[in-house]
Amino acid sequence: MSTYIIALFLGVFFGFALNKAGLTKYHKIVNVFRLTDLAVLKFMMTALIVSMSGLYLLRGLGLITFPNVPATYIAGNVIGGLIFGVGMALSGFCPGTCAAGSGEGKLDYLIPGVLGFLVGAALYGLTYPQVFPAISAIANVGNVVIPDLWNLSPFFTVVLFAVLSIFLFYLIDRAGLHRKDRA
Amino acid sequence: MSSIIAYIRRDEWSPYVAGILLGIVGVMAVWLSDSLLGASGAFENVVGIIGKAIAPDVFNNMYFNFIMPPEISWGVILLVGIFFGGMLGAATSGTLKWGKRDAANSDEQWKQIFGRQTWKRWAVAFVGAIILEYAAGIAGGCTSGLAISGGMLLAPAAFLFIAGMFASGIVTAMLVYRRRY
Repeated sequence: MSTYIIALFLGVFFGFALNKAGLTKYHKIVNVFRLTDLAVLKFMMTALIVSMSGLYLLRGLGLITFPNVPATYIAGNVIGGLIFGVGMALSGFCPGTCAAGSGEGKLDYLIPGVLGFLVGAALYGLTYPQVFPAISAIANVGNVVIPDLWNLSPFFTVVLFAVLSIFLFYLIDRAGLHRKDRA
Repeated sequence: MSSIIAYIRRDEWSPYVAGILLGIVGVMAVWLSDSLLGASGAFENVVGIIGKAIAPDVFNNMYFNFIMPPEISWGVILLVGIFFGGMLGAATSGTLKWGKRDAANSDEQWKQIFGRQTWKRWAVAFVGAIILEYAAGIAGGCTSGLAISGGMLLAPAAFLFIAGMFASGIVTAMLVYRRRY
């Protein structure tokens, strides 16, 4: 029971963050792909820096163990990402932002969006035996993390990721590394 | 204090501030629940429940029996929370769309490109959502379940997914916007 209450609270903060980052707006999502507004990228990279620092620190202190690491099977991860990008650039949402936008009362998220996710989930589940085992067998490296895979220090990997991301933010914000909107 | 409240009430925060909040939520999910954030998996749990109720023979397969069983999982509750979180966020800035005239199709940029007809927006939202959910299945998660949750653990899968998503997202936006890209 208490774990459900935690899930509910974490979900509220998650949806709140999506709303405040502007990700529940069609133009915000599409404009990251038009490279005219990179807020989505900044939001995602910042979340990654904070969460990976926190998690590797807590693991280093022995306070947590990592849950099931998402599996790396190169062809499936990339092909799935390629198809996902098409859906995201067309609709201007993704499963999480659609749920948050539905709560805001956006009916195009709540009705065709949620119905579409349910139809897509049914199609995927029903075709799973024909599709997933084959695609996940290609270049499957299992449930690995980069520091173990490449034999790097976790501390070094996290710091490197943070430094590269902050350099990217610098280029975007100070050097104007984005396109001008002419739409 | 009042400036903090004023900031909370803003329609849009700095993406860096909102990103820090999401990062903390990601850490807390692991620390408190030993779980990863996600959204696409919850739709699979829910459709399993619906499918088993209306067409039990069709949904009696490996996937809906064992891999994504039909249950109110941690992720389903999280998804309900996301719904109310979006509601709370919009309420604090007075931008809730419930009962508003433009609730069915509210984005000005969309209307500029595709026109004002609601059916067009709904058709693209429906087809887009099917594509997104199917793709998330193949990839092993969506923007939250794979890109954020995998990325924060430094799983290569997350970065492969993000690269694919941006590559095709950029091409798709070019094709949709043409001269206005």
